[in-house]
Parts: sequence; structure tokens; C-alpha cells
Amino acid sequence: MAPKKKEEPKPAPAPKPPEPEPPKEPEFNPAEVKLEFTAEQIEDFKDAFQLFDRTPTNEMKITYAQCGDLIRALGQNPTNAEVMHVLGKPKAEEMQVKMLDFEQFLPIHQHICKAKDRGTFEDFVEGLRVFDKEGNGTVMGAELRHVLATLGEKMKEDEVEQLMAGQEDANGCINYEAFVKHIMAG
Amino acid sequence: MGCGVTKTSEFNRKFDKAMKAAVLIQRWYRQYAARMEVRRRYTWNIFQSMEYADLQDQIKLYNFLGYLMDNFTPSKNEVCRDAEWERYFSYNNITVPDIYSGPRLTFPLDMDQAAHLVEAFKNKQLHSRYVLQLLLETWKLLRVLPNINRVSTCHSKEITICGDLHGQLEDLLLIFYKNGMPSLEKPYVFNGDYVDRGKDSIEILLILFAFLLVFPGDVYLNRGNHEDHIINLRYGFTKEVLNKYKLHGKRILKLLQKIFSWLPLVTVIDQRVLIVHGGISDTTDLALIARVDRHRVSRTNGKSHRILSSALSSDSEPESSEFTDTGNDEWKQILDLLWSDPMSHDGCIPNEVRGGGCYWGPDVTEGFLNRHNLQLIIRSHECKQDGYEFCHNRKVLTLFSASNYYEVGSNRGAFVRLGPDLVPYFVQYQATSMTRGLSFPQNVKRTEHTALKVLREQLFVHKSDLLSAFQEIDKENTGLICLNDWASAIERVLHLDLPWRVLHPQLVSSTTDGKLDYHGWFRDLHIEQTMLETLYRHRSTLETIFRIVDTDNSGLITFEDFRQTLKLLSAYLKMEISDEVINELVISTDTNNDGSIDIDEFMEAFRLVDKSRLERGKSLEYT
Repeated sequence: MAPKKKEEPKPAPAPKPPEPEPPKEPEFNPAEVKLEFTAEQIEDFKDAFQLFDRTPTNEMKITYAQCGDLIRALGQNPTNAEVMHVLGKPKAEEMQVKMLDFEQFLPIHQHICKAKDRGTFEDFVEGLRVFDKEGNGTVMGAELRHVLATLGEKMKEDEVEQLMAGQEDANGCINYEAFVKHIMAG
Repeated sequence: MGCGVTKTSEFNRKFDKAMKAAVLIQRWYRQYAARMEVRRRYTWNIFQSMEYADLQDQIKLYNFLGYLMDNFTPSKNEVCRDAEWERYFSYNNITVPDIYSGPRLTFPLDMDQAAHLVEAFKNKQLHSRYVLQLLLETWKLLRVLPNINRVSTCHSKEITICGDLHGQLEDLLLIFYKNGMPSLEKPYVFNGDYVDRGKDSIEILLILFAFLLVFPGDVYLNRGNHEDHIINLRYGFTKEVLNKYKLHGKRILKLLQKIFSWLPLVTVIDQRVLIVHGGISDTTDLALIARVDRHRVSRTNGKSHRILSSALSSDSEPESSEFTDTGNDEWKQILDLLWSDPMSHDGCIPNEVRGGGCYWGPDVTEGFLNRHNLQLIIRSHECKQDGYEFCHNRKVLTLFSASNYYEVGSNRGAFVRLGPDLVPYFVQYQATSMTRGLSFPQNVKRTEHTALKVLREQLFVHKSDLLSAFQEIDKENTGLICLNDWASAIERVLHLDLPWRVLHPQLVSSTTDGKLDYHGWFRDLHIEQTMLETLYRHRSTLETIFRIVDTDNSGLITFEDFRQTLKLLSAYLKMEISDEVINELVISTDTNNDGSIDIDEFMEAFRLVDKSRLERGKSLEYT
């Protein structure tokens, strides 16, 4: 085991990668993104953007913290890591304070839209099949809860609860195809 | 489980797969949650904008109502001399029949009677004799209270603070159940808006006043913007009292009018925490507030009233905020306290949405707290999803105690406890067992359903205006418009500031090539037509007008009153009804031929007016 380097307190701490991903991605540069949205799409985005805009004089600005939610509300499903990446890896305390306007949002959203590996119904079912110990189309609710709360981009207890509410049968099992349909239908 | 070497790589593979699966599910969950959030949010927006749109309509006609009040000379005489008030409010000659099974109060009240009242209101009504007696005692007490209540958390007492209740007795009972009733050990501050909208406003008042009388040193009441008889005309309290107390309702209302004007304006805890119903402005000065004659400062004292009306007029008149008269300055100070809302950016601007008070920013909070050596402002006035919400760097707390305010499941209520450390401790609740069975998504769907229904009604009500707006865009009369135009036209007509494009899948069943058939759309928006469009829109206003005209609250107005009202109304709403038509209307309105007009006949009259306009000259007969 390599000895840990002692980190000295710096005035501007270097940003740490949020997830232990082996290949380090180049920094996101919004200027390099080519916008390919149609006018109709942009109008749709504007409407949704306004819904998230909490400034009283409707300045068309949202906080960094809302950006991920907005992207998701518009139909994408990035990981938290991907969101942080396009936001330029902001610090935790900046999330509620730093704002972005609609013009700044567009390249960010475009980049996410272009990303591959969106995850289809089959991918999803495949993923859940990993936890199907008996190969009978069901997973143990308790195990799924544990996984979601401890692995990957951990979910909070109440989030897990919200997701799983009413999905388990009397034995605590979940039929995962039905579950996936439920999640994707909303 | 298998031998060492292969186990590790197999394990790693499985772990990897599990990780990927987890991340995939989590991504999808977050998308699901975001979509749920959007629905929740626009549902909330719909309710909020409808609440204020309602008010906006009212503001536009406010000039007329004020004008009506100023210019309308009642054909009946009204008791108005001070010396006669005591006799007018006298309850001594009201006898309580033996069959009355409700509480029989003896004065001075004690704790048991107050508690008994709370219990009794679950299914009984207090007799008008006791109501008047209780209100008289309350009036006497309030007159000696200062404008600013001062409370302290000495003796390690925790003070409980409640926000808007709006006639929702269930919530007050829930608060008492969770927190205990007011007592020497359990002081309470109630922050206004006890009445209107909910159905048990009078019961809430009676309970609060009873406890105030029993524990005058431990119960503090602030005035809210709904503790105002003009607002009550519009938002249901007047109607509730007149319905519950058919014989003595008018007297009760008159007495309440006085009581409301005597309610203290703010409460200060430990000289550190300010509790006020609405908020502050950049000119709020507690020293000035302490000095005003609060019961005299009202919107109907001549000059201030007219200035107020023009300030509220939406036809942009020059900013008449130079209140040179001290009476008007005092009125503005009080308006600011009762009507203002916080905003997230600096500054202080007039609150156009509400028509009174202002929007104040974090810099104003900072300045105000520093000037007065305070650390926190607790206010109410705005409904919050979770019952409470901080803003302005946690220096302003909004507290709302009426749960399910818009609809079952729309929001929780909350109350707060403050101990000597002045650190707020919150308790949230939701009155109604129905909501407990529903999951969050089900709640969202249910509330959304109601919001959309209400929204569709609004769209339908504005059909003619919308149709004109669409036809203006669709000059070639194709019957089709694109989504963008549809959205902007609706916004121009309704001014609700809603995300129409986001909502359109819920409001429009289909589009062809991105275009909407708007005639078909109106047909789809089918609303049960129990009343005509215009009447539906003006219904509440008409009721308000009736109650203004009915100055002695008898539920009846004379022919002369009615004629005068119609003339004033026709001038204002540009309905152009000739004298001849008015006369005919007046006579035909009295359908039961008793020589006077009650509210049902009054409403019918306007249905008639609409019909005659539409039918152009057909007979005025109707079944």
C-alpha cells in the first residue's frame, strides 16, 4: 500500500473527482458544445426553466443545485457525477448559491442529451436481474433497498422509501419488470 | 462459497455488475423524482396563481366597490351613533331556549369552560347570546391592549406560535391535541388570518377569544389581513356568520368589525423576535407603530381610502405613495405589516399582486433587525408546502398552520415552539386521515387532478376572450394555431404566469403537426354549464356587492337599493343597461313578490341580464 500523501491545507483546494472513475474526463467546456435543438424544443425548455426559476422578478436564473433536476425533468437521466461534470465540478457550498441563466443552461443540457448509454428498459431489467438470486423474476425488496442506499450514487432512506412504496408483495419481493415499468412511466 | 483465486475475480465481476445496476436504478429514480417534482411544482403554481388571480379580479373591481360604498346611500336607516352601540350589542334580552344543548357560559370564564368550548365545537354551535357576551368581553379587553404585545420566555416557558388558520377548526384541534391547550404554562401567540375560506371561522375566533379572556397574560393575538370586514365580505366569513346566526348575525358582525380593529398589530418575544402577520417594509418603524391609534386607522376614512384605491388601480396611475397626511402614513405602516411578502433579492417594491403592502428583500430585513435590535422575524400570510419555510438567511420564518389549504394533501401545517434560547422547534401535521393512506406520488396526482380541473374551469370562463385572442392570431380563420401562439395567447388573457407549454399535455388532447384546433379544444374543455360564463366569473363579486348594499345585514335589499346598484354597476362594467331595462329588471327580480330582494333573487337578476344580452330581444321570461 502506497503511503498516503499528507494534504496541506490550501486556500483553493483542488477539486476531487466525485466518483472513483479510472479514466479522467477532460474538463467540460460549454463553448465547445454545438447546439442542435429545434426552436420548438427550446421553447419547451424555456417553459420548464421558468418553472424552476425562483427569482421573484423572473430573471430566468436557477441555482446549480436545480440544474440536475431540470435536466432530468426534461427527460434525461444523467448520473450525479455527469451533472457535476457539466457544471464544472462546483463545490458543495456553491450549489445553492451559484446561478446559471438559460443561455448557460443550453450547452449543458445539450451535452447530456448527446451522451450515450442512456439505459433502455432492457438495460434496466438486466441490471436488476443481477439481484435475482433465484432467477424467478423477483428480487428481495430488502436487498434492493440496501444496494440503493450503499452502492453507487447512494440514495437517502426516504428516497428509497419513495421509490419502493407499494412495490413489495407480502413476502417482501418485487417483480422487477413491473417495477421498471413503474419507474419509467412515472 | 468456491475456492480463493477465482472467487476474487468472480466477486469483482459481480460487484461491478451490481454497482452498474445500482447506478442505473439511481439515475432513473432521480429522473422519476424530478418529473414528480415538476408536477408538484406546477400544481402548486396553479393553486397559488388562482388564489392571487382571484384577488386580482377583486383589485380591478375594488375601485367600484369602494366607490359603491362611498356613494351608495342606504334607503334604510342604520345605527351609527357611538352612544347607541352598547344597547345595540346588548345580549341581555336574548333568551336561550331550554332545548339548546350547547355550552352555557358564565362570566368570568374559566379554563374548564374554555376547554369545554373546544370540545363542544366538534358538533355544536354556541348560542348567539353567549357569542355576543363573549365578544363584548373580548372587545373590552382588547381596548386596553397595546399595539405591540410584549412576551418573555422567563420561567423557562416555551412559547408556541401558530400561523394562518383560515377557519379550519380541524387544524386548531390538531394543534391543541399535539401541543396542549393554552394555559399559564403554555403561552401561545396566534399570528392572524383566523377567518375566511374555511367553514368554522367563528368557532376558531370564539375559542381563541375564550382563551384570551381566561389567560390574558399567556395568549397573544395578532391581526391578520383577513381580520377586516371588507375582506370578509368577499372570502366567506360574513356569509358563514349570517348563515349560522340568522337572527343576530348582523350584530355579531358589527361587533367583530370593532374587535378586528382593536386586535394588536405585532408581538415581540424577549425583545428579540418579531411576530407579525405579513411582514415589513423599508419604512417600518416600531416606535411609530406603538403610537398609532390602531382602531381608528382604517381603509374607509375618506382621504386614505381614495388614495388607497388609486394606488391599487391597475391602470397605471402615477405612484401616489407620497402619503403626506399622517393618517395615510399610519395606514401604510399597518398595511405593510399585514400584507407584505418577502422576496429573494434586495430592495423594497410595492406588492402589486396583493394590492397592499410590499415585497421586501434581505437587505431590508437586515436593516430592520439591526435598527430594532432583533434577531428573527416570524410571519405567516403565505401557504408553504411543509408548513414553514425560512428565507433571508434564516432571518425570516414563514409559518402557516392551515394544512390541506388548497386541496386535501396539498400542504402540511406547522407550529413552532420557542424556548429561552429562542431556537425554533417545529411540529408539522396534516389534518385528515385520508392523506395518511396515500403515498407521495399518489398525493401529487390527486392534487394535480384538482388543480387542473380548477384551471380548466378558468380557461372555460375566459372562453370569449381566449377565442378573440386566437382569432386575432389566426387571421385566415383556419381554426388552427401553433402551440407557441396558444401558450402566449392564454398568458395574455389570463395573466396567471403558468408554464403553459409544460402543462399542455394535460390540457390539450391532441395536436396535428404541432397545431391545435382551438374550436375543438373548447368543446373538449366541457364544463358542466350550470351557469353562464360571465355570471360564473362575477359570481363572488356579485355576492360581495349584495352584502355591501345590504348595509344592515338583513339579507334583503329594497327596490331602490337594487336600482341604484344596477346603475352604478352598469356604468362600471360597461354593460349599458337602459333605465327602462333596469326598471323591468327590478320588478321582475322580486320573484316571490315580497317587496324586497334577497340574495338569490339578486343573483338571478344577473343571469337574466346575461340571457337578454345573448338572446337579443327575446322575452325575459324564463323557467
